[in-house]
Amino acid sequence: MKMEILERDENSLRLRIGGTNAAFMNALRRIILSEVPSMAVDDVVIIENSSTIQDEFLAHRIGLMPLKTDLDTYNLPENCICKSEFGCNLCRASLILDVEAEDHTITVYSGEFKSENPATIPVSGKIPIVKLAPEQKVRLEAYARLGKGEDHARWQPVSMCAYKFRPIVKVDSKHCDLCGACVEICPKNVLLKAGNKVEIKNSDNCTLCQDCMDICKKTPKAVEVVWDENSFIFSLESTGALSPERILSEALNILDGKLKDFLEQFAGKENEK
Amino acid sequence: MNVKILNRKENELKIEIENEGHTFCNVVQKALLKDKKVDLAGYSIPHPLTANPVIYLRTKNKSKPETVLRKAVAKVQKDTKSFRAAFDNALKVYKDQATL
Repeated sequence: MKMEILERDENSLRLRIGGTNAAFMNALRRIILSEVPSMAVDDVVIIENSSTIQDEFLAHRIGLMPLKTDLDTYNLPENCICKSEFGCNLCRASLILDVEAEDHTITVYSGEFKSENPATIPVSGKIPIVKLAPEQKVRLEAYARLGKGEDHARWQPVSMCAYKFRPIVKVDSKHCDLCGACVEICPKNVLLKAGNKVEIKNSDNCTLCQDCMDICKKTPKAVEVVWDENSFIFSLESTGALSPERILSEALNILDGKLKDFLEQFAGKENEK
Repeated sequence: MNVKILNRKENELKIEIENEGHTFCNVVQKALLKDKKVDLAGYSIPHPLTANPVIYLRTKNKSKPETVLRKAVAKVQKDTKSFRAAFDNALKVYKDQATL
């Protein structure tokens, strides 16, 4: 398997992967979306809410706020040693919000939450939660826990995770009459007219729409878009809860765990006869 | 995950996997289909509200289906291993380039 990092920053990752198959990429994608755990608020105790927003609406907004996740410290509640319905320090973190607008309207941002664990805080302090008019007040305690995207989207560690076949764009300069129509129609600017030639730049950006092929009047077509079914462009965008590398490595761990679990179970059943 | 054997013959095997879905079954099915000893391999999810897919496998030339299935799963395991190695390597190359 060949791999190359095309883009990488704090929250996103783009890979070019060769020598694998769609089934494997899809398994990874599905695990990232629905089985890699992350932290989110699940329970909110509202002590006082005199804002114009209803309690349940407020709780919903708080739930969707991504939190920085420490996977090494926290356990999934169903696997935690405490076995308690209310959770313990190893499977739950509490955040407190206590704000009041004194003499003019304010916007309450996620940065106002005070967490019992300084590592479990919203990924950004600039997420607006609620607006308060003078003398309105919100006091609440929110309980965050690890969860999986399959239970609710708030536990998804990614905002986007997708793959596509690796595009291969070819231009046959012998047939091309340099009409420039394909250069103009390409939505990703993959084709470029340079002198008396149509050049290809960043073919990985091609969306395989084949508009360039449709607009080419030549027979056979002077421009051709094909794809390699064993190479992929895999992109992933984290919400900030976990680093993109960590998400991918957790997904591999989960897939490995499933396969191992299956082999063990199957071996047990096979011997029963 | 809980594996149940539904039907077993000389060259046929039907198993039910509790609490799984397309994620696991599709990757295993595609791995099975690459094996030349496999005559037919597929899976179905009998009801969308229950996560209990059934994998069906039929082999050629009296090959033992259990062995073929175990091999296919081991092949996927190998894939995850090489993916991890390739990813670690790509990350290293990227970091080396960034420091240059």
